[in-house]
Parts: sequence; structure tokens; C-alpha cells
Amino acid sequence: MTEHDHDHDHDRTAAPMVDEITDFEVLEIAVRELCIEKGLFTAEDHRRFTEFTEQIGPTPAAHLVARAWLDPDFKNLALTEPMTASKQVGVDWLEPTGFGTPSDFTAFHILEDTPTLHHVIVCALCSCYPRPILGNSPEWYRTPNYRRRLVRWPREVLAEFGLYLPEDVAIRVEDSNQKHRFMVMPLRPDGTADWDEDQLAAIVTRDCLIGVALPKVGVTTNAITDTRPAMHPAK
Amino acid sequence: MSTSEESRSIDGLEIAPLTKIVERNQVWGRMAAKYGVENPVPPWKSSLDGICDALDHAACRTGVLSSKEQRDEEDKLSATTYSSLPYPENQLLALAHSLIGRGVIDETELQERLSAIRARLEA
Repeated sequence: MTEHDHDHDHDRTAAPMVDEITDFEVLEIAVRELCIEKGLFTAEDHRRFTEFTEQIGPTPAAHLVARAWLDPDFKNLALTEPMTASKQVGVDWLEPTGFGTPSDFTAFHILEDTPTLHHVIVCALCSCYPRPILGNSPEWYRTPNYRRRLVRWPREVLAEFGLYLPEDVAIRVEDSNQKHRFMVMPLRPDGTADWDEDQLAAIVTRDCLIGVALPKVGVTTNAITDTRPAMHPAK
Repeated sequence: MSTSEESRSIDGLEIAPLTKIVERNQVWGRMAAKYGVENPVPPWKSSLDGICDALDHAACRTGVLSSKEQRDEEDKLSATTYSSLPYPENQLLALAHSLIGRGVIDETELQERLSAIRARLEA
């Protein structure tokens, strides 16, 4: 009998958890309960919005790009009618939650990279992000460090993510706002000629769709970057 | 009250129950390391997102804390009063701070609720 050739119930099969009630956990419940009691929203509203945030992610956007790489007609649709193309990968921008719109609703635009033009998205004002199709924004996207500096020094900030673009590639920073959300359609990388949609989607990571990375054969996870709090404003 | 007046009302506000939470510093990174947990964010994060979305969704009706106001104040408070906290702890503290600053939640009421919830969870 091999080591795992048995009906087994190892001593510990559940992942470890924090077995302690933290102040932050208590505070989140307190704020939520008081808001509900004061009539700001209902427990049902909260549950549905929470469910929405838990189920969104970058997978639909990765498939949208992969499909566009394979199908010129779909690519044209994605660039000219991005909300229609989104619907074909399961995201309805008009009803992203299925019961109403959180702050995301908007006009949605897909930015096509070319060999001489690279796009990257930001929200200089706060942290607007195409959540219905990309999921929640990464922590660094919300930081003033990224928001303030990307619009002024895009080439240098992209280099901090390990993305060094040649000087002959122009960089266009697209600033999101309350009504307009964007995602990037990167160039299909070399070495993927006979790949199918699922294979291609696997290398279209969230960071590629933001524009701080490029798809690469063999890279299926986002870059790990160190972030730090923004410098405090000078007094 | 206008938005700018509301924004000013969060400045320099000392909120004892929140200060105590900062001082106890039970931030997720520390707690996760203590228990060998690898989840990058605390389990209450999606619920916090749900609160922010639900508040924003209702803001036209309630006039309380739209997404833009919440994010602006979060930015400000994360760089000042709660600069020692990581994300998303600073997001949570800033939200509570904004609601207290607006008089939506009363400080004493919050303290009582924190105690009641802790007792309930530890029962």
C-alpha cells in the first residue's frame, strides 16, 4: 500500500485559520450592524453586494482578450462595442450584480495596444476600476504612490513593475473616472501560434489587463511587487 | 452640510474606540503569521467591500458617504490618523471614522456595540 492509497482522514485536512477574534473583525460587524439599524441599507443589500465582490475576478476579461486574439470579428466587436463583447464572456455592464449597479456602471472602453503604443490604466482621482470584468483592484492600484506618479512618470513607474518598454513604444496613460472604465488589450505574444482560447487566457493576467505587465509564455500569475505607503505630503 | 464641511469634520477628530484598536494592532498580517494562515486579506474584507458598495448604492437616497467621499477621506486618513495601519485595516478604520465624523454613528454607541459583539462572538 502506498502512502496515499487509502481512504484517509489525515489529522489535519482543514486549512489553518486565525483562531482569535480580532478588533478589526468586531469593528467591521459593528459598523455594518449600525448602518443597517439606521436604515442606510438592508442586510440583504449588503449580502448581495458582498456576494458580488466575492465572485468577480479577471477571468472574463482574460477570455475576452484571448478570444479577440483568435477571432478578428470578435476583436472588432470588442473595440467597437465593448459592452456587447463583455456580455459574450458573461459580464453584463448594465446589471453587473444582477440586481442593481454598484459604483461601477459606466461606459466601458477597451484599449488596443500596438507595436508602437502601450496603454496603462489608472484612476488619479480615487480608485475607479472596471470591477465587473476585472474583479477588485489590487492594493497598489489604490495607492497615491501609483496614482500620482503614473500620470507623470509612466515609463519609470512601469519599470518599477519590471516592465521596461523601448523608447520607440509610446505610453498612453488612460485616467478612469466615475463614468468611464478601461482595460487594456495587449499584443498577443510570440510562441502562441497554435494555442486555443483557454491556453491564451491563462497568460492574460490581471496585470496585463491593467497594463503594468505584458503577456508572456509561461507566466500565468501577476507580478509580485513591493509597495509602500505614499510619502506624506510636505508640511 | 456640504461635502467640504463634512470632509473638514474628520480632521483632527480623536475617536477613542478607534484609537484603541490601532494601539492593539491586531492587523491581519500579524495575526495570519501567528496562526500560519496564508490568505492575503482578512476574512472580513469582502464584507467591508459590501458595506462600501451598499452605502454608495444608497447615497442618493440617504445622502451619506458616496464612494467618492469615502475614498477621498480614506486617502486622507490613511496618510494621517491611520498611517500606521496597512490596507485594508486603514480602509475599515477610515470608514468608521467618516461615519462618526458625520454623526451617522455615535462614538459611545460604537463602543457599546463593539463590547456587545465581542461578548457575542466569545460566548
